Amino acid sequence: MTRGNRILLSCIYWAFVLYVFVPLMLMILMGFKDSKFIGFPIKSWTLDWYLGVFADAEVVSTLTYSVVIAVLSTLISVVVGTWIAVLLEGRKFLGRAAIFGLTILPALVPGIISAIAFRIYARLLGIEPGMGAIIWAHAVHNVPFVALVVMARLSTLPKSQIEAARDLGADPIIAFLRITFPYLIPAILGASIFCLLLSFDDFVRSFFLGGYEPTLPVLIFAKLRSGMSPEINAIATVALVLTAAIGIWAERFTRRTNKDTNP
Amino acid sequence: MSNDTTTRTKSAGVAPEKSDRTFWGWLSVWTPYTALMKLVTTSPRRQFVILAAFPILWVLTQHLGPMLQMLRVSLIDAYPVAPGVEQHFTLDNYARFFGERIFWQPFFRTLIFAGTLTFCTLILTFPVAYFLARHVSRKNQLLMLLLLLIPFWVGEIVRTYAIMILLGNTGAVNLVLKWFGLIDRPIPFMYTSFSMGIGIVYLTALYMLLPLYSALEKLPKSYGEAAADLGAGAWTRFRRVTLPLTLEGISSGCTLVFLISTGFYATPVLLGGPSTTVFSETIAGFFHVAGDEWPTGAAFATIMFVTAMLLTGVFQKLMYALRKGDTK
Repeated sequence: MTRGNRILLSCIYWAFVLYVFVPLMLMILMGFKDSKFIGFPIKSWTLDWYLGVFADAEVVSTLTYSVVIAVLSTLISVVVGTWIAVLLEGRKFLGRAAIFGLTILPALVPGIISAIAFRIYARLLGIEPGMGAIIWAHAVHNVPFVALVVMARLSTLPKSQIEAARDLGADPIIAFLRITFPYLIPAILGASIFCLLLSFDDFVRSFFLGGYEPTLPVLIFAKLRSGMSPEINAIATVALVLTAAIGIWAERFTRRTNKDTNP
Repeated sequence: MSNDTTTRTKSAGVAPEKSDRTFWGWLSVWTPYTALMKLVTTSPRRQFVILAAFPILWVLTQHLGPMLQMLRVSLIDAYPVAPGVEQHFTLDNYARFFGERIFWQPFFRTLIFAGTLTFCTLILTFPVAYFLARHVSRKNQLLMLLLLLIPFWVGEIVRTYAIMILLGNTGAVNLVLKWFGLIDRPIPFMYTSFSMGIGIVYLTALYMLLPLYSALEKLPKSYGEAAADLGAGAWTRFRRVTLPLTLEGISSGCTLVFLISTGFYATPVLLGGPSTTVFSETIAGFFHVAGDEWPTGAAFATIMFVTAMLLTGVFQKLMYALRKGDTK
């Protein structure tokens, strides 16, 4: 009975793995098709589409543009998110619940609504559509994720360490820089990687706040609207490999640092 | 091995001690710094104000501000305001929504769609989460979960495109069906609510899986065994033990997936057709043209946001009541 259940459940799991992986595999495969038309079966193969991606100046500049946006917006999110987490964690004050609610608000607003709310607000702030506007929107949107991750880590910091530092004469800032901050580094790095990926993959905010220069997802979207071609597969695969590689590396990294600090 | 690590930590411990005499020691006696610290730490109250001012200012202006400005724009007759023209308060932007079928139909379609897809995602991922949490050893659990996380890092657009290749007329599914001789001509999956549903479930499944997994993982195995000893069959055990104790995970997973799926824009544009227009496309339409339609767009976005929040709020309250009722 339980054995049968187990086999059935494991079949469901592997079917789910297939559902999750097969579309991406097919997409990568289609980038090797030696034809302008997307579709199976693939009769002859070529590497030209993939080689073409790196020769295409537009794709390369778009890729750089996306990476710069991701890095800058992540820097802002990490500083602000950590600051909010330090304020909220383990402190009781009037309005704490309200501040916490507002902190996670950007993560709860559905994508399209968040994008147009940012678009309207950018006009109020006088930010022109373009790089600055995208960086700002990504930064605000990603703050809740940093705050939550850092708060979780902060809640496991033994209070006695801070007290010991203070007893030995460290002022609050030095105690933070020498005790709290080093303890938070794994969480901050993990959150940074997550923000980098969120920003790099984001479409809807980049689309509504962008100027003439597209980010990578916006470029793929624009090309898709004018028709499918193996060229798009090659571009999408580059984005896929980049994000998956960073994701896997980050996963291994955070697991290793977690093992080091709490054995 | 252990010897090696102790020497490593020891040598790592020496470096900051040295710098203590240099940087930190220097900093703590540097006059501008001590003056600053005196100013900052005179009272716990001032210390708190300095710590709290920036975060509070940030969440009010950056997190709440955009939503409030959207609400404000939705209540005026023209935006941006032309110089010399007075702006007027109006509810017309909201009235437009109820007036025309092309506006409210996509709205209700979106809600029904998001609700149905949330339920489908729950049914699809529950057995997967259950299998991972109950039938896999601790070490393999992380690996098998990681395997599912990899595609999750890939962006919305790329995964949507992958679904287009899977379901197209010359796509993989049609090819396989043809091979088996099940069909003569391709089934037009694309640009229907079917392709859109597959795409959205593909994008949101992980947001359901993770809360379910963590809820199931916390549930002690002994509970099920105790129920079995008391004579409960598999179905009863599931219905009376597992399900009630994972309601929290179900409720947060469903809330997340519902909110995310109402907000998709690119996926319905790429995978849907004219008969599956969702409300995010309607809203976006007001922002493609020059600014004069913004108030209407803002009003529609406000309607959607308030509805989504109310629905998920009521849903969470219901699930909470159910949970409390069961433990009594």
